[in-house]
Amino acid sequence: MGHKVRTGLSRREFLRRSGLTVITVGAAPAILAACGDDAETGGEASPTASAGGTPQAPDASGTINFLSWEGYDIPVDSMNAWKKDQGIEINPTYIGNHDDIQAKIKAGGDSAGYDLITYYQGYMPLYTELDILTPLDENKLPNLEGMFEFWGSDVNNFWINPDGERIGVPWTWGSIGLTYNSAEVDEMSSWYDLLDPSLDGKIATVDDPAGNFNLACKILGLQSHEVPKDRLADIEELLSQFVRASRGVSPSFGDMTSKLVSGDAVACFHGWAAMNTFAADQGLDTVLTNIPDEGSHSFCDAYAIPPTTQNPDAALAWINESISAEVNAEAAEYLVGGVTVEAAVDLLNEATVGLYPYDDLEGLLELAPLAINAPTQSDEYVTFPEWLETWQTIKASA
Amino acid sequence: MADDQSERVALAASSAPGGVIGAPVRRGERGRAVPLLAAVPAVLWMVAFFVLPLVVFAFYSFLTNAFYDVAFPLTTDAYEAAITSPLNRTLAWNSVSVGVTTAVVTVAVGLPVAYWLRFVAGRSRVAVLFLITSSMFASYLVRIYAWRTILGSRGLVNSTLDRVGLIDEPLSFLLYSRFAVVLALVHIFLPYVVLVLYAAMAPLGRGLLEAGEDLGAGSSLLWRRVILPVMAAPAVSAFVFVFILAAADYVTPQFLGGRDGLTLGVQIQSNFITVGNWPLAAATSILMLLAFLALYLMLNMLLRFRRLHDLRIQT
Repeated sequence: MGHKVRTGLSRREFLRRSGLTVITVGAAPAILAACGDDAETGGEASPTASAGGTPQAPDASGTINFLSWEGYDIPVDSMNAWKKDQGIEINPTYIGNHDDIQAKIKAGGDSAGYDLITYYQGYMPLYTELDILTPLDENKLPNLEGMFEFWGSDVNNFWINPDGERIGVPWTWGSIGLTYNSAEVDEMSSWYDLLDPSLDGKIATVDDPAGNFNLACKILGLQSHEVPKDRLADIEELLSQFVRASRGVSPSFGDMTSKLVSGDAVACFHGWAAMNTFAADQGLDTVLTNIPDEGSHSFCDAYAIPPTTQNPDAALAWINESISAEVNAEAAEYLVGGVTVEAAVDLLNEATVGLYPYDDLEGLLELAPLAINAPTQSDEYVTFPEWLETWQTIKASA
Repeated sequence: MADDQSERVALAASSAPGGVIGAPVRRGERGRAVPLLAAVPAVLWMVAFFVLPLVVFAFYSFLTNAFYDVAFPLTTDAYEAAITSPLNRTLAWNSVSVGVTTAVVTVAVGLPVAYWLRFVAGRSRVAVLFLITSSMFASYLVRIYAWRTILGSRGLVNSTLDRVGLIDEPLSFLLYSRFAVVLALVHIFLPYVVLVLYAAMAPLGRGLLEAGEDLGAGSSLLWRRVILPVMAAPAVSAFVFVFILAAADYVTPQFLGGRDGLTLGVQIQSNFITVGNWPLAAATSILMLLAFLALYLMLNMLLRFRRLHDLRIQT
């Protein structure tokens, strides 16, 4: 029996992973590439790790050029008040796909001028190779002390690199699951339930190659970052089955929610608990999300500072504030996600605290571990570029 | 006999006051300077923001892929990969199919509408033109989502058919299919085509049609020997305009296309953003551009061959 991820609070404006954002990307990288500078030349000096002294957040102000999902600029009361006190303004550029981040930073070079980004932990190897993550000065992040031990740790070098330098601060997370409309189908406890012939053409898949490959590896019992080359065909075949059972690949999670609401889909490969709320906000309150028996994977998004920054202190101050208990809790309620700060749990409303078992995070992360994407280069294992290229083929010819 | 009549009608079309339009006007050197100066800002703009980026873009297509970056040496690897990829061939065929179908349907529907507006609509012309252009007030994405509402499993079409008992199950081909992509693109481009054809038809005077009728031409012959020859060049322009935009579109296929509706534009976008292979994306784009250019030149030559070139200049 699958693990049910509960939800039920309202947060309407988060449908920002919706397809409406996707058109803003388009040919921009091409144009930027044509006009851009060399990304290697860097911006202002990046903050570097330093030792000793009592940690203190920088007293910074000015504009932070932000590049990430809409909603990840935390437009909640507590953060707005802090920004006003501090004299900080956010200049956001919203993405429609995680890959927009590396595309815009690499194509735009220094002229892009982004100060603050987020990254999903699976992208750490790629972003390290692309030199997108700069070391953060922990002495300017006093709120790190309040984080859950796990989220503050150096697990898999997601947020602390092998040299011991902090490169990211995790602040929101969640678990991927099988999202379905319980009014249309019975409880689904296996990913293979989606391949039942009665659901042919009634499921939705999302254009998230990393998420899909991580999930396929989990279903097939493979470690996603150590998949032998000869197993790529198995993953391709499994994902092709899910794509064949769906009518097209949705450009975003928001688009999949729209399909559930309109009745064009009854279940998703894959979703997450927030979609229950998104659907309820659109009038469909029968959408549920399970973690099936085969398990799934979890995601954790971290703030990071790219080398293009012009205002690193303001970005650090922002990051520090995002892991204050009050902001972290309010952000979790807004985003229908998990908190990384221990004291934030007590501040959560009933619905949000019920999303994930904070007293048994270990158990949850065993069933749905934090995935590691494939390496960017390897002669032995399937690589990340191979994932991406294979996904393109699956989408068009499954 | 019929041929003689046909020739007379055609001759009338090329010589009647309403049919021969815009005889070249000679101007002095000073007269030419003003329009040239007026064109300078537009030319500079196009050079700075279209031609130069395109040149850089073409240069990128000959560089070596370095995963979200490019490097030397210069190579034609990207072109080789773009041409030999079976996936690209499939998607190119999808693009051509979507582009041609959309363009043919749009022009075929737009031409009678433009004719009706020009010669039949009378007082209602302004109101109808307003209705046609008003659909352009809604954003592109809103129109795409509107089609999802209309064509979906519980959409207007399926609900209506179900209610009147014509279907038991929703018609699945309506949405997430090439059909849906073409339908939405026709809806999006039709107002532009109607306006272009209507404007091109404006100089086609009623006197010209009456001359044809006086010479014994029926409705069919009038269309074949008078209206269509005059409208051939604008119609071809509209066809090329719609074909290029529809075949290169990458947003509509993602929202309405399903598996068989994906186009090469989607693949180019993915190569830039998701795969990070900029030379391949640039090479595929350049190849598409060359294909479109070849199509344009081919149609242009066809027009010349059919001795319609002069009419194209006149109109």
